[in-house]
Amino acid sequence: MKKKLSKFIIKVLLIVLGLSFIFPLYWMLNLSFKTKSEVYVNTFGLPREWVFTNYPDVLKSYNFFVYFKNSLIYTVGNVVLTILVGSMLAYCITRMNWKYSKLAISYISIGLVIPVQVVIIPLFIMLRQLRLQNTYIGLIIPQAAFALSSCVLMLSAFFRSLPMELEEAACIDGCNIYQTFFRIMVPVIKPAIATQTVLLFMGAWNEFPLSYILVTKEAYRPLTVGLANFFLQIGVTHWGIVGAAMILTSLPTVIVYLLGSEKIENALTAGAILK
Amino acid sequence: MNKYFSTKTSIFIFAFPGLLLFTAFVIFPLIPELIISLQNHDGFASSGYVGIKNYIDVFQSSMFWKSNRNTIIIVLMSTLITLPFSFILALLLDTQTSGVRRFFKASSVFPAVLSVTVIAQMWVAIYEPQWGLLNSVLRAVGLESWTREWLTDKNTVVFAIGTAFLWQYIGFNMLLFYTGLKSIPRTYYEAALIDGAGPVKCTIKITIPLLQDVIKYLLVISVLGSMAMFAHVEVMTLGGPGGIARTIVYQLYYTAFMTSEFGKGCAYAVIFVIECLIITLIINRFVARERIEY
Repeated sequence: MKKKLSKFIIKVLLIVLGLSFIFPLYWMLNLSFKTKSEVYVNTFGLPREWVFTNYPDVLKSYNFFVYFKNSLIYTVGNVVLTILVGSMLAYCITRMNWKYSKLAISYISIGLVIPVQVVIIPLFIMLRQLRLQNTYIGLIIPQAAFALSSCVLMLSAFFRSLPMELEEAACIDGCNIYQTFFRIMVPVIKPAIATQTVLLFMGAWNEFPLSYILVTKEAYRPLTVGLANFFLQIGVTHWGIVGAAMILTSLPTVIVYLLGSEKIENALTAGAILK
Repeated sequence: MNKYFSTKTSIFIFAFPGLLLFTAFVIFPLIPELIISLQNHDGFASSGYVGIKNYIDVFQSSMFWKSNRNTIIIVLMSTLITLPFSFILALLLDTQTSGVRRFFKASSVFPAVLSVTVIAQMWVAIYEPQWGLLNSVLRAVGLESWTREWLTDKNTVVFAIGTAFLWQYIGFNMLLFYTGLKSIPRTYYEAALIDGAGPVKCTIKITIPLLQDVIKYLLVISVLGSMAMFAHVEVMTLGGPGGIARTIVYQLYYTAFMTSEFGKGCAYAVIFVIECLIITLIINRFVARERIEY
């Protein structure tokens, strides 16, 4: 009896806490349908009067489509660059006869303990000198450089677990190293690449400090930064519009999340455990 | 076979792009950083070397110590509160039916998936003094005297930001602990049960030692993550009135980009990177690292 009761209490506790984690979604949706004045008297309840004009209004003052396009370019660029370069380096470290491979992996691991903010000042100056500031490449490259460490470490763990016969067979069939890598090894580690893609997508889409500090032109800002500036500039007076802006901003990640929350869970944990 | 593949050219082609990218944008900038930290630099040009004056200025400014204190508070919150709490959640989750487990696991990653801007803004609404959730609840239960302006009061602002930051990642930490728990073979617990060990003893003697790897990993990422917390401070408070909410990273950003003292900003960054390295070394030293195989 006592056991049953405690199990029930734990269940209630976990469900309440679980609901608190998805509360932001309810909150944003709820705000986005409220009038300006209702937010102040009825902040967290359901709207008494539903309005749908917040969405068209926000599109007038908030450059959603520009930010969205930028976020998409940064994210895709980052994912492609990191995975291409990272998988090649991981392959070289784990499967090729390279005498410095141990040194290389320790060197790459340094990236795990250097937060981006540490080098943001010299990066800012470097990018300006290279005339890469406020270009897509100018943000994709540093973001990818910082995402590289964990990508290489995780893919290395995967490559290491594969049997050597794979390359032997490829070699006998007359593949050269490049064909072996792109035609045989990459397809074999597809699950790991999928996991990395999810992780990198989430990381790049929500990346804040680099994009906030390095990008100084409105036309090149990604969504997260655009949203932050939207708050800071308009000052928050009309929370209904803010709610709509937040929903539009979060929509892509929420959709990815709804399609594969289990995949994301697995990716997040796999990425961590393998390090 | 490997010899056949591993010519000098092919190793170069595979390894070079990654090493170049990493070196040029993660490691190399540390050099100009050191150099600029010894200069009087306004972001565009240097007006000469000033020796260690920037460092002396930094150590003498009260903001340096205040921002360090704020950073330490957040780091302590994340190690002493969040980690044990998320570990307990993982243990509790393990006792539940699969339906509850699935719901809780799925919802726990949601805040980590959302953009920090959204999370920070939600907490701004929770802390809002007039109609915010926190003060409304306090008023409703008759604790009127506890209500305050959470994000402008110098006694509460750091804890308020810290709570928002930690809430965002607690589910993720829980999930890692839970995955770790699941990988421990059940037979260990069965054996302990036969020997008469209770659940508490099992946790201390079996679970925690076998979760070392996970604990260490989480310790490192939570400490470094909370030391580098920036977005929450910026979006929630802009550093707070008089800079009361600034963390060391925020102070670094502020010094360089708001007051154009790039030399001093770099000095902050050099000090910060040394702090990060010391902490990582301490964790590595005190949490043993042995690969655990079952």
